[in-house]
Amino acid sequence: MRIVIVGCGRVGSLLARRLATEGHTVSVIDERPSAFERLGDDFDGEMVVGNGLEGATLRRAGIEKADGFAAVMPGDNRNLMAAQLARDIFKVPRVITRIYDPIRAEVFREMGLETICSTVIGASLIHDYFVDGVNRADAVAGAGGRKT
Amino acid sequence: MNQRSTPYVLVIGGGKVGYHLARHLIDRGYEVTLVEKDKWRAQWLSHQLGSCSIMVGDGDEMAFLATTGIERAGVVVGATGDDEDNLIACQLAKRQFNVPRTIARVNDPENVRLFKDLGIDVPVSATDLLMGLIEAELSGSDSVKGVAVKASGATLVDVALPELSTLVGKKVSDIRLSDDDLVVCIVRGGKPVVPQPELVIERGDELIIYSTTLDVERVRELVSS
Repeated sequence: MRIVIVGCGRVGSLLARRLATEGHTVSVIDERPSAFERLGDDFDGEMVVGNGLEGATLRRAGIEKADGFAAVMPGDNRNLMAAQLARDIFKVPRVITRIYDPIRAEVFREMGLETICSTVIGASLIHDYFVDGVNRADAVAGAGGRKT
Repeated sequence: MNQRSTPYVLVIGGGKVGYHLARHLIDRGYEVTLVEKDKWRAQWLSHQLGSCSIMVGDGDEMAFLATTGIERAGVVVGATGDDEDNLIACQLAKRQFNVPRTIARVNDPENVRLFKDLGIDVPVSATDLLMGLIEAELSGSDSVKGVAVKASGATLVDVALPELSTLVGKKVSDIRLSDDDLVVCIVRGGKPVVPQPELVIERGDELIIYSTTLDVERVRELVSS
């Protein structure tokens, strides 16, 4: 698959590395060139410096041919706007975004946008550990969760 | 205040735009609540506008929005300096609180169309408006004016024909415009005239053109060449 990721923070870089290693064509967008250091020297995807809310930047990252799009910037609203751009303007088939605010994640999910609320997931995992003593983080994280 | 009931207006973002807008609306008798994130800024705003009109909080937080009486608002205005915040606030207002009309300040002109597509009733691009006005002034001539009623993504262009315009003596139907453009009015001697296709254009006429494609430069070429 051809995948565009907006935001090269902890989540974006981890996701990009993992997908690239699995053989996908990956482009990562971030405004700060230094953010790409997280990807490491051996990353063979594309790195695009620019604003992920601008059509021109998204086009440079190849969004018009993308099969998937992930918005993982630090701000919920930026992510929601980028995701809607990808879905409604560029017609990317699979669009998903990480959201911190549970209510916003729910509201936009009801509007048909795929959202993952890291707050809810984190809280649930910790909750479950207290309730039944099992830490399910490894099962969720899979191979990408640990640095090798 | 006039007889007809004015809608309750919720303005999100108490920067320069939000502040002056709220002040203007209050002066005109609207019931206004101005939402501002920053506590200190909000305090200053309260001094200027009266505390009853200011609420401190995040205009994108559902829980907070619910306390502003948003569900009875006739209009919500996203007036912050960040396009994404204005977009999401207006979308939440529309989807979750059934606000009939949402107006979003748009800072990046490219977003006007996007906001429209994403359900914002009226995206307002101050940048476009300013650029149009400044461009018209730059040209040194005031023959092409107006340029920016951008609500529908279109522009109203007001053209005062120059003395030697090639259009003088031609019929309205001879003006070469694209299918999306229309001469909506001719101002002759200070009075509006309906631009029938057979109407002959006279010296000193002013054309008002509704256009989705024209820019000031193209109009200038059209009327003067």
